[in-house]
Amino acid sequence: MQGLRPQELAEIIAIDRKKCKGCDACKAFCPTDAVTGKYGAVHRVDGERCLFCGQCLVNCPFGAPQDTVDIVDKVIARLKDGRTTVVAAIAPAVRVAVGEEFGLEPGALVTGQLLGALQTAGFKILDTNFAADLCIMEEGSELITKIRHYALGEAAGHAPGPLPQFTSCCPAWVRYAELYCPQLLPHMSSAKSPLMMAGALAKTYGATEVWRTNPENVFVVGVMPCTAKKFEASRPEFASAAAYWHKRGSAGSYPDVDVVLTTRDLARLLKKLNINLTAAAEFSDADNPLARYSGAGTIFGNTGGVMEAALRTAHFVITGQELAALELNPVRGLKGVKAAGVTLRDAKTGREITVKVAVVHGIKENLGPIVDEVVAGRSPYHFIEVMNCPGGCVNGGGQPINPMGTSWLDKYKAILPWS
Amino acid sequence: MSHDSDGPRVLKHPLSSRLFHWGLILGFLPAALTGFVLWLKPGSDGFVNLAMRIHIGAAAIFTLSAVLYTLLCLDRVVAFVRRIFSYDDRDVGWLLVGGGYPQKMFLGRKIPVPPMGKLNSGQKMMGVAMLFGGIVLTATGWILYAFIPLAPKAFIYWADQLHLVVGIVLGLSLFMHIFLGIYNWGEFKAMFGDGTQPLAEAEDHNPAWVAREIEPVQKAAGGRQLPA
Amino acid sequence: MATYDYVEKAIKITRREFLGVVGVGAAILWTGAYAATDLVQDRTKYIKLRAAGLYRDDAKAAARQSHNNAAVGEMYKKFAGKPLSPLAEELFHTRYVDRSKLGGMRS
Repeated sequence: MQGLRPQELAEIIAIDRKKCKGCDACKAFCPTDAVTGKYGAVHRVDGERCLFCGQCLVNCPFGAPQDTVDIVDKVIARLKDGRTTVVAAIAPAVRVAVGEEFGLEPGALVTGQLLGALQTAGFKILDTNFAADLCIMEEGSELITKIRHYALGEAAGHAPGPLPQFTSCCPAWVRYAELYCPQLLPHMSSAKSPLMMAGALAKTYGATEVWRTNPENVFVVGVMPCTAKKFEASRPEFASAAAYWHKRGSAGSYPDVDVVLTTRDLARLLKKLNINLTAAAEFSDADNPLARYSGAGTIFGNTGGVMEAALRTAHFVITGQELAALELNPVRGLKGVKAAGVTLRDAKTGREITVKVAVVHGIKENLGPIVDEVVAGRSPYHFIEVMNCPGGCVNGGGQPINPMGTSWLDKYKAILPWS
Repeated sequence: MSHDSDGPRVLKHPLSSRLFHWGLILGFLPAALTGFVLWLKPGSDGFVNLAMRIHIGAAAIFTLSAVLYTLLCLDRVVAFVRRIFSYDDRDVGWLLVGGGYPQKMFLGRKIPVPPMGKLNSGQKMMGVAMLFGGIVLTATGWILYAFIPLAPKAFIYWADQLHLVVGIVLGLSLFMHIFLGIYNWGEFKAMFGDGTQPLAEAEDHNPAWVAREIEPVQKAAGGRQLPA
Repeated sequence: MATYDYVEKAIKITRREFLGVVGVGAAILWTGAYAATDLVQDRTKYIKLRAAGLYRDDAKAAARQSHNNAAVGEMYKKFAGKPLSPLAEELFHTRYVDRSKLGGMRS
């Protein structure tokens, strides 16, 4: 199969032919034209083209696209086997959406209850927000190295990748670039996504320093607003922890992240275990360093959040001072492409540089011109955040399905009988 | 055309109504047939897609016919609405014997039925279904056609459910209407001919209409011919 | 040219009937307009509410910058050294695949 390696999940989103009305709504949200089937006829998803982003799934009026990877029972079995340290790596966007599955208002922030419910279920906690902070340290350092090298003329040990640098947190965006614009791959940040960092960390540092157990007994469950994360977890290169222990004499073979539950899957799991999120005792795993996070880590779930978090840290690293106003309003909100410039005075050299950034969300509608600029070599930006889903992870394909539909279209496309 | 042998005639369906009926034949009939195809989705992508295109084209004809008829022949529409909402105990009697149709079809026996107006009880009930169902089908149909990627999911979902249920009910009613329309051959001739019917036949089918709602044509001098 | 001797009496439309027809027509048009405007704006509501939830989480956080997350600093100190260290590269960085060259292509 094109676009997929043997170990990778080949199908995540499939259309239930009994429910499909052939209305083409999914096509209006599909970033890669992976949905085939003529208007009126039953549609299908081409797994080779599909990013597994799940936007069709959350936006189909008839609930026809389904997430076919159901590992809820497998996770429950691991929770109950008494030997496994089951670690839940909870993404930022889950805590503002999982409440909807339990009758709370959309946007209700339920971090405490979510951790409480997970603890009751038997999970250990690794907040992906912690890994998001870690991601900023790695990805931000990478960016700063590039800026110092290209814009401030500082010599680097080896030539860093080209600018602009793209974020690499969104697995659907990474797959999009790999499939459709491979010429951009040198521009991608080499940093793993927060979840993959979380997995590698849980089975190394987490196992030895926090849970004090054999890394092979650590079972990392990503709890994600995202169906594409299921694909990302199946990528063969994400077995860094096993490689790390292999070098140190251990022969085990395991992925960094064992399975991924979507927000919907998590709600099903909790319901199967008769745990009511709204009645769960608040819990903050304060003694666990891997459950601590900064405000920068939590806004990763919003479009512009990675950028805002990165700039807060880049400002500090380059100027030596904290940003005065932390809210970077130009990168907030739902405009398709958001651009901003931040002028920084380098503490080392005294030179000034305006860091230009762009934020893209909704690949289908908004990515094209930004990519064209980069390919043509005339992109004015240093750092570009791309999130596949409109609005970012809060509107991911793994989030609770809202009866009103949660995405929107900038452009209105009528389906004409002759088109 | 000469009708002299039949005796006096009555204009049952004026030209405007007959044209509207043709609009329904070219609009509602193909839309209903293709609607069943779209519901059951038999056959290839191309076939179902073709059905969808015909469905939409036919829907446009149907909608245009209905809108034009309402705007240009408001009196006909109002007369129709008045008729389909007027019921009395004669309708109960008519419905109890099924309008005499089962006896006529299966036993070959003509039984006396309560006198009906221009529309009998069954036609009136179908008229009510057609009026409301038609409005619902048209509105939901165009919403499904034009607003699908745009309007909220629940809105589209319920529009589709309504469109489906009402469409099935009216689609099946249509087949019954076609059957009975052909079974009552005189009615068929009137609708697809010049709209007239022998007065005697109308008196037999629609006695209350003949008694109360018709009047002799103001004759032009020397002949009875008038433009329809 | 049709010939006939009897014709249906003309009717007079009452005011109520006229208003009824106009009302039904207006209701249909209003439904369409409502579908196209009010409800459409609602589509972004859930994104905005969830996004606002995360911004609230940010605003109430003790530390609001990643480099001020002490637990991350502690992890580097005890384990990975510093950002982009060889161990950090090994565990926290990756490579990408040019999937257009993976073969088995189906056009």
